[in-house]
Amino acid sequence: MSNLALICTLCFVAVAAVISMRQKLGLEKEILIGTLRAAVQLLFIGYVLHFVFETSHPAFIVTIILCMILVAAWNAGAKAKHVRGIRSRIALTLACTEGLTMAILLGLGIINPTPQYIIPVSGIIIGSSMIVCGLLLNHMKREMETARGEMEMLLALGATEKQAIHDPLRRSVRASMIPTIDGMKTVGLVQLPGMMTGMIVAGADPVEAVRYQILIMFVLASSAAMTAMVLSLISYKLWFTKDARLLPLQASD
Amino acid sequence: MHINNLTKSKFDDPNALLFRGVTAKLQPADRIALIGGSGTGKSTLLRILSLLESFEEGTIALEDRSSTEWKPHSWRRKVSYVAQKPIMRSGTVGFNLRTVSQLHNLPFDEELARKYMAAVGLGQTDWNKQAGDLSGGEQQRLALVRSLLLQPDILLLDEITSSLDPGSKQAVESLLLEWVTGQSDPSARAYVWITHDLEQARIISNQIWFMADGGLLEQAETGAFFAKPATEQARRFIQGLKEGAKSDE
Repeated sequence: MSNLALICTLCFVAVAAVISMRQKLGLEKEILIGTLRAAVQLLFIGYVLHFVFETSHPAFIVTIILCMILVAAWNAGAKAKHVRGIRSRIALTLACTEGLTMAILLGLGIINPTPQYIIPVSGIIIGSSMIVCGLLLNHMKREMETARGEMEMLLALGATEKQAIHDPLRRSVRASMIPTIDGMKTVGLVQLPGMMTGMIVAGADPVEAVRYQILIMFVLASSAAMTAMVLSLISYKLWFTKDARLLPLQASD
Repeated sequence: MHINNLTKSKFDDPNALLFRGVTAKLQPADRIALIGGSGTGKSTLLRILSLLESFEEGTIALEDRSSTEWKPHSWRRKVSYVAQKPIMRSGTVGFNLRTVSQLHNLPFDEELARKYMAAVGLGQTDWNKQAGDLSGGEQQRLALVRSLLLQPDILLLDEITSSLDPGSKQAVESLLLEWVTGQSDPSARAYVWITHDLEQARIISNQIWFMADGGLLEQAETGAFFAKPATEQARRFIQGLKEGAKSDE
């Protein structure tokens, strides 16, 4: 893509900004910040990847993946800031999901052990797992309000934290996985996924692009399940105080 | 149970105190009616005693061990709180009755469950019915039976007859009186029962705890309390409730 064409893509941002101004949505500043951040972040990562692909040193690959995990954990953890220690649990969960998935992909020789494969696929795994974490936390926050009576009733009957939170947690795990599963059902019919589109635009054979997309979809399904399960298991106690009371309700943020 | 110098601040204003210096002793076979105006912290006190609520200062101890030395769920098996608003688990009446046996991996005592259900006037209720379809009063009684099946030492009852008709109310009162006093071994059981009904307080208690002005103002034997309350606040409270009852008639 030429530089001129790249600059012309700003037209799309302008459309959003104009709509925001005319409809008095007050989002112009957000749009401007978003545009600048997206452009700078993507250009930066483009140059970083260029460098890493050239050197192909494992330390760089690990560093990049760790950075992805930390940023994703910080971002998803913002959904439940009042839950102490949630960010470290999310980071651990993402590391588990990424580690296991990558081990299978590399172990079975599904992808080549080169940065060109490992980094983009890791980005997809960690990114979608981050969304699963965010959904899980959002649902749990809602459950803490709606199912509070149910959980307290069970606690009053001598239930442990795990027993009291079991049903709300199960509902949250389910809810956090549903978008991924729904995505699998409609992919190709409703939306053409970004990675596949990108490969086709860059000149790849559509059938080859689809094969990779199938791989990604299946990886996403398993990583969503893994993420939701692991995070719920290692974080359920954080919704309670040390003496097994429910965390106080937070003013809605 | 020993309650020593308990202080709790208000939920909406942590700098203001809901009550302070609450000290009391709950002994086996005690039947306590906890009375007082709305907002004096009666429910909060019961929730604290079942470790569902935090407190700022003071201690509570059971069997000579402070609450901090207990595992919360072991404490709550012995000291169980029954909320005013009954919460049904989504499922059948039978499923709700089996809650305790399921939580604690115990065999389900169907005979005892049927006995309690009959005692509260739910003997004819179909156990396959969805608990959510029961009326408010039926749910309140089912929730009580569910807690009784836990066989706790102390029951903390928060206006548990507020949705009941006079007949069912009487049935619940008789059952709970029998639960405490009708034991072959009267060593263990006791209850603290929040009520706004003075007649009920007379029937169900042998002691009154009266809360007002940010504290537990009176602890007295039931007959003595009603014959001659020690504080002006209690006198006014009783008078107010009596006048309210008259105007209802």
